[in-house]
Amino acid sequence: MPRKVATNERYDAVIVGSGAGGGMTALVLASKGLRVLMLEAGRDYDPYKETPMFAVNRDAPLRGEGTTDKEFGYYDATVDGGWEMPGEPYASAPGSEFMWWRSRMLGGRTNHWARNSFRMGPYDFKPHSRDGLGVDWPIAYEDLAPWYDKTETIVGVYGSNDGLDNHPDSSPGVLHKPPAPRVGELFIQAACRDMNIPCVPARRAVLTRPIDKRSACYYATDCGRGCSIGAAFQTTTSLLPMALATGNLTIVTNAMVYEVRLDEKGRADGVSYVDKLTGKHEAAFGRSVILAASAGETARILLNSTARSPDGVANSSGQVGRNLMDTVGAAMEAQFPLLENRPAYNEDGAMGLHLYIPFWLYREQARGALDFPRSYHYELGADGRRAPGMSMGNIADYAGGYGVKLKQDMRRYYGSFLHFVCRGEMIPNTGSYCEIDPETTDKWGIPTLRFHFKWSEYELNMVDHFQERTKELIERLGGKIHWGDDPPADAISKGGQIIHEVGTTRMGDDPESSVTNQYGQSWDVRNLFVMDGGIFASKAHKNPTLTIMALAWRNSDYLAEQLGKQSL
Amino acid sequence: MTSDPRTVPRIDRRTTIKWLAGTMTAAYTGCSSDEKYLGDEIPAAPHRAGTLPGVAATLDAPGYGSDPDVMNPVVPWSRTMSEAQLRTTTALCDMILPEDDRSPAASGVGVPDFIDEWVSAPYSQQREDREIIFAGLEWLEQQSQERFGSSFVNADDRQRTALLDTVAWTGRAAPNLADQAAFFERFRWLTVGAFYTTEAGSDDVGYIGNVPLVGEYPGPSDEAMAHLAAVLEQLGLTLTGP
Repeated sequence: MPRKVATNERYDAVIVGSGAGGGMTALVLASKGLRVLMLEAGRDYDPYKETPMFAVNRDAPLRGEGTTDKEFGYYDATVDGGWEMPGEPYASAPGSEFMWWRSRMLGGRTNHWARNSFRMGPYDFKPHSRDGLGVDWPIAYEDLAPWYDKTETIVGVYGSNDGLDNHPDSSPGVLHKPPAPRVGELFIQAACRDMNIPCVPARRAVLTRPIDKRSACYYATDCGRGCSIGAAFQTTTSLLPMALATGNLTIVTNAMVYEVRLDEKGRADGVSYVDKLTGKHEAAFGRSVILAASAGETARILLNSTARSPDGVANSSGQVGRNLMDTVGAAMEAQFPLLENRPAYNEDGAMGLHLYIPFWLYREQARGALDFPRSYHYELGADGRRAPGMSMGNIADYAGGYGVKLKQDMRRYYGSFLHFVCRGEMIPNTGSYCEIDPETTDKWGIPTLRFHFKWSEYELNMVDHFQERTKELIERLGGKIHWGDDPPADAISKGGQIIHEVGTTRMGDDPESSVTNQYGQSWDVRNLFVMDGGIFASKAHKNPTLTIMALAWRNSDYLAEQLGKQSL
Repeated sequence: MTSDPRTVPRIDRRTTIKWLAGTMTAAYTGCSSDEKYLGDEIPAAPHRAGTLPGVAATLDAPGYGSDPDVMNPVVPWSRTMSEAQLRTTTALCDMILPEDDRSPAASGVGVPDFIDEWVSAPYSQQREDREIIFAGLEWLEQQSQERFGSSFVNADDRQRTALLDTVAWTGRAAPNLADQAAFFERFRWLTVGAFYTTEAGSDDVGYIGNVPLVGEYPGPSDEAMAHLAAVLEQLGLTLTGP
């Protein structure tokens, strides 16, 4: 799909990154007739030819189990990436442990994400007004709502409108019909109903009716491998082909951008990159520059752009790299005797959440009844009768023993475990940020990132609350906790581990305390924009990808208008 | 998407090294107490090396890299287990998953070869497992020879059962056999994972799926829903609410 071209042409927009933010920006700008160049650090990737649909674990090395080469398993749609990448290090500062997932391929991490797509709500945009912590966004939910509708329409999201507090409905006709719930989900839902906890259809970027050339889901084969029929959303089967079809987009892969170039007037005039195939340093030029390289990589590029300022570009506020947030993660697993030996049926479904539990205690929280200020949701692991992998060994660990009795126990216990997963909101703190590591460069000589990260009592108390509610749910269903009931400080995920890092170039109303305005436009360099998760002013418990795309669309509309007015 | 590290039980490397170091010095210590832990009379670890000869000492093969051809998977490293190790492995994995009326024995679907693939892989987890598995196989072999006067492969079922019963339930093994119990758990984890990922194993537990469906996902079968309704009733819960 992409082609390598001489890039001495001056484009209307140079976009760094081809994931959620870059993909959406490219489509919006190219559709308006603007000439767009996209630079991607990884290789070209064609999900129509490279997705191992229906491949089984037994055909993969080590039964598909994750290794240091492919952390999420052999078939995972991550190319040249993962937590650790040879020649591309990062560091955690003493006392911190941060994990940074990268993916060097066209489409970036959209090729393998979980597709969970929850809208942020009115409270999520004004958290400081609600509890005095962190900062408010410069926009309200209503400002973004039309772009949520547009984004969901083009992406394709299944779910339902349930009229729940801070969980906005979509406009009529936008959502796709959610798949029927599985047994385990209905089992949990019955207990939730008894305990006045909502348990409703999840929202995922998976088609259940076709859109253009993309097929509806046919309810098989893990979305994390990518999706050659285009049902599970990734930019490589949707936004990028659509943008290329306009004839206005040029994509260059293997282009490792490391610097924003400024002209003598302090305007961005392009970027510098290493052509990974030749090792040569190249430049690309445009009337505007859009960074959508991910919150970490975008901050790195800005901080490394020191030709005219030792603190980097767009950093007069000193906030680039600061306010780093990730989702609060925790999980618990239990075994349910009542689900033993249950009848077999095809439980693959859409290979992800069908039902989930949205946060339900906003009123109690507002009146001070909870010891944590922000919210979380539950993701439910209820596909216990999924295709066997090496984790079948965990069932044997639970059963113990060996012999014919073990075979009987495997049949008995298979499908009797349920997972409860916490995904919660982190509040930005001064101890969580990334900076340029003075000690280390990558294999091209580009200085690398060093992360600082810590959780606060707010997040730990949230995990405690999740654990206590989960134990009540498990008990109501006659289950036995298998694992996950550790002290919150041990149970909580490591920073970055949930792969929702945001906030490093946050937007705001005040150039003193934010990096961009509400459109992702740098306060300092008016033709420089950020269109990835870096601009998040807070990290709602809702998974960020949908919001990254809705913001990118809204902000690209603004950018196109400014380019049209020649006002940059 | 995130992987849960708990799905892969890890045995601390230091524990393994300590166990292996212990193999040099462990001596038989009988126990005269009437209250015996299961297996208390068995020495902690082999005190003689070389029962299972022919072990490849180093692994210098490459992995499959960060961008393998996922459409055409290949295992780029060679198998390294010795014939003797494979014989013991075969006997042990068939003790863990023997043939029954629903499915073949573990060795009938290639589990020993998979364990060889696993312990021969150049990755850190597999290197740790290699130490654990090789030391454990050696221990089994030595125990069998000392107690029964024959190799584990040639010991009879009763003898092999007596040996495995000392380590097959992690919480119940004697403290001095904790490492051997950890070996058995890891070996069983590999055997079970290898077996149930085969077609025969997958059919045994009744996995249904990995087929494209036309139209809407149908959800649970009538039988599955009837079962669910019945278990909810036992809990005083319902599918449709009050």
